[in-house]
Amino acid sequence: MMKILNHLWMITSVIFIYTLTGLSQNSNSESWSQFRGPHGDGVSTEDLSQINWAETQPTRLWKKEIGPAFSELIVSEGVVFTMASEQTDSISGFEFVAAYEEDTGDELWRSNVDSIFIEIDGWGHGSRSTPTVDELNIYSLSANGKLTANSKKDGNRIWQLDLVKAFGSTCPRWGYSSSPILVDNQLIMEVGGTDSSAFMSFDKTNGNTIWASANGNASYNSPLLVTIDGQEQIIFANGQKLVAYTSQGDTLWSYTMPFGNIIASPVFIGPNKIFLSGIRNPGFIIVQIEENKATELIHGNSMKNDFSSCLYYNGYIYGFHVASLRCISAETGKVKWTKRGFGKGSLILVDNKLLVLSDQGKLAVVEATPDSYIENGSIQSISGKSWTAPSFQDGKIYVRNLTEAACYTLK
Amino acid sequence: MKSVRRLIFVILSLFCISSIMHAQDIDEIIAKHIDAHGDTDKWDAIQSMEIRGRFIAFSEEDDFYALKTNSGAYYSELHLGKHKVTEAFNGTSGWTIDPWHDFSFPRALNKTEVNVFNQKAEFFTPFYKWEERGFTVELLGKQTVDGIDVFAIKLSRPNGKSETWFLDANTYLEYKCESEWADFGYGGPAESYFDDFRTVNGIVIPFFIERTFYQRNRMLQIEDIKFNIEVDEELFEFPRSAEMKKLAFLEGEWDVKVDVWSRRGSWYRLDSTFSIILWESTNRLLEKIIYDRIYVQSKWINYSYISSEKKYKIIVYNGFSSDFELFEGNFNDSTFIADQVFINREDSTQQNAFSRIILRDMEGDSFVFEVKTTRDAGANWRPQDKFTYIRRKELF
Repeated sequence: MMKILNHLWMITSVIFIYTLTGLSQNSNSESWSQFRGPHGDGVSTEDLSQINWAETQPTRLWKKEIGPAFSELIVSEGVVFTMASEQTDSISGFEFVAAYEEDTGDELWRSNVDSIFIEIDGWGHGSRSTPTVDELNIYSLSANGKLTANSKKDGNRIWQLDLVKAFGSTCPRWGYSSSPILVDNQLIMEVGGTDSSAFMSFDKTNGNTIWASANGNASYNSPLLVTIDGQEQIIFANGQKLVAYTSQGDTLWSYTMPFGNIIASPVFIGPNKIFLSGIRNPGFIIVQIEENKATELIHGNSMKNDFSSCLYYNGYIYGFHVASLRCISAETGKVKWTKRGFGKGSLILVDNKLLVLSDQGKLAVVEATPDSYIENGSIQSISGKSWTAPSFQDGKIYVRNLTEAACYTLK
Repeated sequence: MKSVRRLIFVILSLFCISSIMHAQDIDEIIAKHIDAHGDTDKWDAIQSMEIRGRFIAFSEEDDFYALKTNSGAYYSELHLGKHKVTEAFNGTSGWTIDPWHDFSFPRALNKTEVNVFNQKAEFFTPFYKWEERGFTVELLGKQTVDGIDVFAIKLSRPNGKSETWFLDANTYLEYKCESEWADFGYGGPAESYFDDFRTVNGIVIPFFIERTFYQRNRMLQIEDIKFNIEVDEELFEFPRSAEMKKLAFLEGEWDVKVDVWSRRGSWYRLDSTFSIILWESTNRLLEKIIYDRIYVQSKWINYSYISSEKKYKIIVYNGFSSDFELFEGNFNDSTFIADQVFINREDSTQQNAFSRIILRDMEGDSFVFEVKTTRDAGANWRPQDKFTYIRRKELF
C-alpha cells in the first residue's frame, strides 16, 4: 500500500512539475505577447549567450503579404498574431486580427474587427495599435476605435466596444494607435473619452468598465505597467498628464506634461524614473518618482522621438532622435554616439544587442554600448516603408513593413 | 615705463600675429576644401548639371531628378509620399507645385524658401569664390561632431542669411551643414549631412545627402550625374497654368468697336478705340482700354485663374468712377462666362441684380466681349455693352 502511495506521490509530483514547467514556458509574462515585448519596454528576456552574433546570419523562415497596418507581430504558444487590413475600394475595406503559424507563416484564421481606417495623408491605411493576448483571447483596437476580444483559438468574437460611441472619444487624426495592456483580469488602455474617461480599465472577459479616469483626447502612445517602491503602477501619458494608477484605478501621482500628445511610449528607468520623448521641444524629460511624487530630473534636446519608442539599458537610452539612431546617458542626457542611415527606424534589445530596423527594412545587430556604434552585421530583412518595430521570441525575429511580414531565425 | 611699453608692444604683436594666423587658417582651410572637391578648372567648365537618383521622404523611396546651372538656377522633380513635387528657381525667384502641401498648381516661393533654393541651387561648394559672391566667412574653431574632427565655419550670404558648415578636418570635405530650411513655407533650422563622395570627371561630389528639419527626414542618393546638358531656361520660369493658356489669345493690341444695347432693341455704336492686353505675370493678363460711353471710361481689366477655387477671376477697375467689379467664371464649351460677385453678399438687392461678362466668337484674331445684366438673379439676361475686338496688324 505504501509502495502504491509512493508511486502515486511520485507521479503526482512529476505531473505537477511538468505542469509548472509548461506554464512557465507558455507564460505570457515572458513571451512577446504585447506591444514592445514581455514588459512593454522593447526588451527580450531570452538568454542568447550561446549565439555568436558576429557569425550568425539570420535565416528567413517565411515572408508573406498580410495587408496594410502598423501593428507589431506578437507571439504566443507557437502562434503569431497581429492586425492587418484589406482595402476593397478607394474608401472602404476592413481591418482584421489574424493568427499565423509561427514556423511557416501559414494563416490559421482571420477575423474582421472594423472597417478600414483610410489615411488621407498617405502614411498608410489600416491598424496602428498592437493587440495583446492572454491564455484564451486576443484583444485589439482598430484604428477607428473598436476594442475587440477574439478567441485565440479560432478568432471568434467574444465582445466588442466602440470607443467613439460608448465613451465619446474622438478618433485622432492618424487613427487610434495606443496598444492595450493586460493587468490580471483587466484590459487597460487609453480611450480618450469624455467625462473623465481618458484612461480606462475593462473586464477582459466581457468588456465591462472597471474604472475610468482623467481627461484628454486619445493620443498615440501606450500605457506601461511598472513596479516602483514595490507598488505595481500603470503609467499613462497624454497631452495633459503623465499619471500613475493602481490596478484599482486610484491615482498614485501625476505630472503635468511639458509636451503635447507624444507618440513614443514612456520608458521605465528602474527603479523609479520615467523617460518621455516627443519630436518637439523639450525633446525629452526624465521624471523621478519618490513617495508618489513626480519631479523632473533632467530635460534636453538630445533625444527627440517621433513615432518610434526608445529603450533603456544599463544607464543609457537608445532610440531614434528624429531620424538618427542615438545613445544618450540616462543620467545627463549627453549624446554618446549617433548613427545615421536608418531613417525613422525602430529598435528592440535582445541579449544586450540592439536589433535595429531601418525605415526601409534593413535589420542590423548593434552592440548596446555607449562606447561607440558597433554593428555586428545587417541584412535587408524586408523592403519598403517599415515603421513597425521588430518582435523577438524563441530565437526568431519578426519584422513587417506596411503590407508584409517576415520571420527570421537565429538558430 | 620702458618695460611696460615693451610689454604692450609684445601683446599687440602677438594679437596681430594671431589675427594673421587666424586669417591664414580659414583661407587655408577653404583652399584645401575647394581643392578636395577637384580641379576648379573643370568646375569652371561646367555650365549645367543633371542629377538623377533616389529620394526618400516619409520613409518612401522614389525617383529624383534635378537640374542646376552655374547661373544659380535649379529645377527638380521629386516625390513626397504619393505626391509628385516640382520646384524651380531662376536664381532670384522660383515656384513650386506641391500637392503634399495642397498646392496642385504653381505658387511662388516666399523669401524663406528663396533662401532655401539659394542653397539647393548651389552649384559647387559655396566657399568657391566666396568673396566675389559677396559672402563672408568666419572660422568658429575646431570641433568634434559625431566623433569626427571638423572645422566649423560660419558662412553669411548677401541676403543676410547664414549657415554653419562643418568640414572634415582630415578630408576637408563637408560633413555637416546647419542652415535655415523651410517646411510648409515656414522657416526653421535644418541639419544636412554629406557622404558618399565620388569623383566624376575629375570633380568630387557628395552622392548622399541626408537632411533633417523639424521632424522631417529626407535622403538623397545620387545615382547619375551628367554635365553640360542643354537647358531650356523656360523650365525655371513660373509656368502658366493650362487654364490661363486658354486666355493667351487675349495677348496683343486690338482695335475695339464699342456698342451699347439701345432701347429699340438693337446695338448702337458708341465709339471705336483700341486696347492693349499683356501678361503682367504668368497667371495674370491685364487689359487697358479707354473709350467713350458718354463720358470717358478708363478701364483696367485683370484676368487671372485661381487654381484652388478652379475659377477665373476678372477684376474690372473703372478709372472714371474709381470703382471696381469682380467677376468669377469659367469656360462653357467655346464661350467664357463670368458672373459678377459682390463682396457684401448680405445685400439681397445685389444678389438679384448683377452683371455677366461673356467672351464669345473667339477666333484668334477677333473676339467679342459682351456685358449682360439681370435683375432677377439670372432668370433673364439683358444685353448692355458689346466690345468687338479685331487684332491690330501693326504695332503702334
